[in-house]
Amino acid sequence: MGAYVIRRLLFLPATLVIVSFVTFAIARFGPGDPMSVAAGQLRDPEVLERARAEKGLDGSIFEQYGKWAQRALSGDFGESYSIQRGRTVRELIMPRMWVSAQLNIIAITLVFAIGIPLGLLAAWFQGRWLDPVITSMLLGLSAVPVLVVIPPTLWLFAIKLGLLPVGGWDGVLDIYWIAGVIAIPIPDPHLYIPIAVMTIPGFAGVARLVRVTALQVQLEDYVRTARAKGLPERQVALRHVLPNSLLPVVTAIGLSLAGVLEGAFFTETLLGIPGIGSLTFAAVVSRDYDVILAVTLILATFFIVMNLVTDLTYARVDPRVRVGASARV
Amino acid sequence: MSQNRMLAILLGVLAALVLVVGGLSAVLLLSGGSDGGSDSASDGSGSSGAIDSGATSGRLRLPGGDPITLDPALAGDAGSAEYIVELFGGLMTLDPNLNVTLDLAASFDVSPDGLVYTFKLRDNAVFHNGRAVEANDVKCSIERATERRLASSTAAAYLNDIVGAREKMAGSAQNVRGVEVVDRKTVRITIDAPKPYFLAKLTYPTAFVIDCQQAESNPRNWTLKPNGTGPYKMREWRLGERIVLEANTAYHLGAPKVSQVLYQISGGSALTRFENDELDVASISVNDIDRVRDRNNPLNKLYTESPSLSISYLAFNTKVPPFDDVNVRRAFGLAIDRQRIADVTFNKMIAPATGILMPQLPGFTPDDKTLKFDPEEAKRALAASKYAGRALPAVALTEIGAGAEGAIDTQAFIEQWRQVLGVQVQIKQTDAATFFADVDAGRLQLFNSGWIMDYPDPENVLDLKFHSKSALNDLDYENATLDGLLERARTEREAPARLRLYQDAEREVLKDAAWIPLYFARQHVVVKAAVKGWTEPPMVIPRLRFVSIER
Repeated sequence: MGAYVIRRLLFLPATLVIVSFVTFAIARFGPGDPMSVAAGQLRDPEVLERARAEKGLDGSIFEQYGKWAQRALSGDFGESYSIQRGRTVRELIMPRMWVSAQLNIIAITLVFAIGIPLGLLAAWFQGRWLDPVITSMLLGLSAVPVLVVIPPTLWLFAIKLGLLPVGGWDGVLDIYWIAGVIAIPIPDPHLYIPIAVMTIPGFAGVARLVRVTALQVQLEDYVRTARAKGLPERQVALRHVLPNSLLPVVTAIGLSLAGVLEGAFFTETLLGIPGIGSLTFAAVVSRDYDVILAVTLILATFFIVMNLVTDLTYARVDPRVRVGASARV
Repeated sequence: MSQNRMLAILLGVLAALVLVVGGLSAVLLLSGGSDGGSDSASDGSGSSGAIDSGATSGRLRLPGGDPITLDPALAGDAGSAEYIVELFGGLMTLDPNLNVTLDLAASFDVSPDGLVYTFKLRDNAVFHNGRAVEANDVKCSIERATERRLASSTAAAYLNDIVGAREKMAGSAQNVRGVEVVDRKTVRITIDAPKPYFLAKLTYPTAFVIDCQQAESNPRNWTLKPNGTGPYKMREWRLGERIVLEANTAYHLGAPKVSQVLYQISGGSALTRFENDELDVASISVNDIDRVRDRNNPLNKLYTESPSLSISYLAFNTKVPPFDDVNVRRAFGLAIDRQRIADVTFNKMIAPATGILMPQLPGFTPDDKTLKFDPEEAKRALAASKYAGRALPAVALTEIGAGAEGAIDTQAFIEQWRQVLGVQVQIKQTDAATFFADVDAGRLQLFNSGWIMDYPDPENVLDLKFHSKSALNDLDYENATLDGLLERARTEREAPARLRLYQDAEREVLKDAAWIPLYFARQHVVVKAAVKGWTEPPMVIPRLRFVSIER
């Protein structure tokens, strides 16, 4: 197992080199450059030439990549040229990624916390009226796009009822003081709408997944065996059906976690949340090379690591899966 | 059984539909009474106690964006300049009526030949940290802005009249020869020709005075908490979240009345936040204008409209077929009905441009000098062109944008060109980087663009955009008569004669139809009643110190 992990991790640097070079090349082969975007209407060709030379953007692509890689290896991922001139990539990306991560972690937790019990419930009621009611309601909920949901939600809860702010970001927790002595942490009101919007389609999907697998597992031989040997129904459900129906959920969780650092572009834009989604979009249209590259690399690394973690977890929960065993089969 | 199941599925679908459609229609139903609703929201009591957006007196809450940079030497966009003019200052500034007035300078002298400007600095002018502003600070600020390493496009455009600035920018000189420290409080600036608009150029941020020591000691991050000389100091900047400015009580032109200004950078629609009492000022988009103009809407009393020194235009590359023929360019201009588009598509939020020089700019004349909508004349112009009788080369109009649809006015132009001229024009949308690259390479035939004045002088648009030798002339446009007029205007020291030269130049450009001026922009905002002294100046100038709050 240890050898397997090491083998998988050895691929990481190679993957990152490929990812970084491809991203680097795509960004630079795209028309235009960050210097002309920064200059806007005041684009003086002579000055642009000078600016490119100062930032080392005038060499061949290999030369530029070499310089970038050298700096990146020493931990310097460069600076923003066009969207936040002069700021280091690190100070630009980290706070935004953290905002997106907080939102995603809360949303993912809720997605599974609501989705799993709901799916099991639907499976439990199979054949009765509640199952199709839940299932079709879930279908409906997962089908409504974020873009459609946000405006009426905002209008109702922010404008009409005045309960929630229209958008923005103010951290996750607020401290609510009772009599100035007892501090109770409560979720910040800016969170409710984005979290609701990000959670609802997600839990609907998870619930449908769980329901289907739970129903499949019911028909498995080992469940029949368990029943045949006279186990009480409760034990069959808890010991045999439940753990096995959660297997595909592990993959779903792993995939969701791999996306923790990604931003939800529409939600962030419409609700004015300073997350990584809106930053990445701005960086791409402004050709902010170093920012694009850093975001891509962080996401790639995180994705690879999370995939590995998912595979390892899978091997633990499903005895049929053995990591690194391919040679022996 | 299967019938029951079908029934149950139907019930479930129904439940989901009830949830979605019910929610939506509840919203729509409630919106029928939106006037009464926004009443309660806009008086502020509608918002719950859980949201503390700081409605305390002495705090102004504005919508904002992250500035691209707060370095005055680099910033070239209006979004950044809005903060910079409050945090920094220069020798000269603009008052709310756009007159060039004294800022850090207590007085100035111009030599008889118009080449040498001698500025005396104010005794009470200090940086935010209390240090007095001295002649050395002026000199080093200009030298820093013109450093080759900085490669500032604004310095290249607006400091290039100072003797020695070009050499310094090219890296061939250590110092800017034309800036001399006479004594601790006196600085002398020599320019290359007697240009009356030089003082106006000094009001642009790239000429502002900074604390060079601060910039040198922390070249990458000094602008996060800049030690400027402006009416406001930076208190907090949380990227993507907010910027908080704090009054500089020692400000040499009088302390600001509002002690704190909060720019909310995150957050959705500004008008929605204004109605939810999260903002004191919000601009109005074309989607909301009808509601705001409605006299029965409470927003109507808070609404103001004002002009802006900016123009949008269609530009031709005059070297690329078919727009290498002036008749084709004229035909395209004559075929579009801008008045109708301004009235219908933009709901009268903007005015058709009457020329290139905007109202409120010296030299502006109210008569319409542009091509008027005239389908017959447009057809005749096309018939008079060298392309008459044969198919026009394919034409594409390029604009910055993303999305399946063009800008709303572009779609109208395309339709009118098709109807009037029978020409099928393609819309191409690109991102800013691609757009600029294509414009600079002369690859675009026809493009949609705009210009916001950086200082209130006709030179800032006519000379910069149309002189054949100007680095910012992106049309490949050449006209010797025009060049002559512009060169004479540069050094004409009699104001009326100078403005006449610019008016002639404007006519020359319009005669050649190098641009089709589209609209003069107007600003539409709502301001809370408690905010007094708010102005929407036609360009970016310091204005926060005139504002007070009476809650």
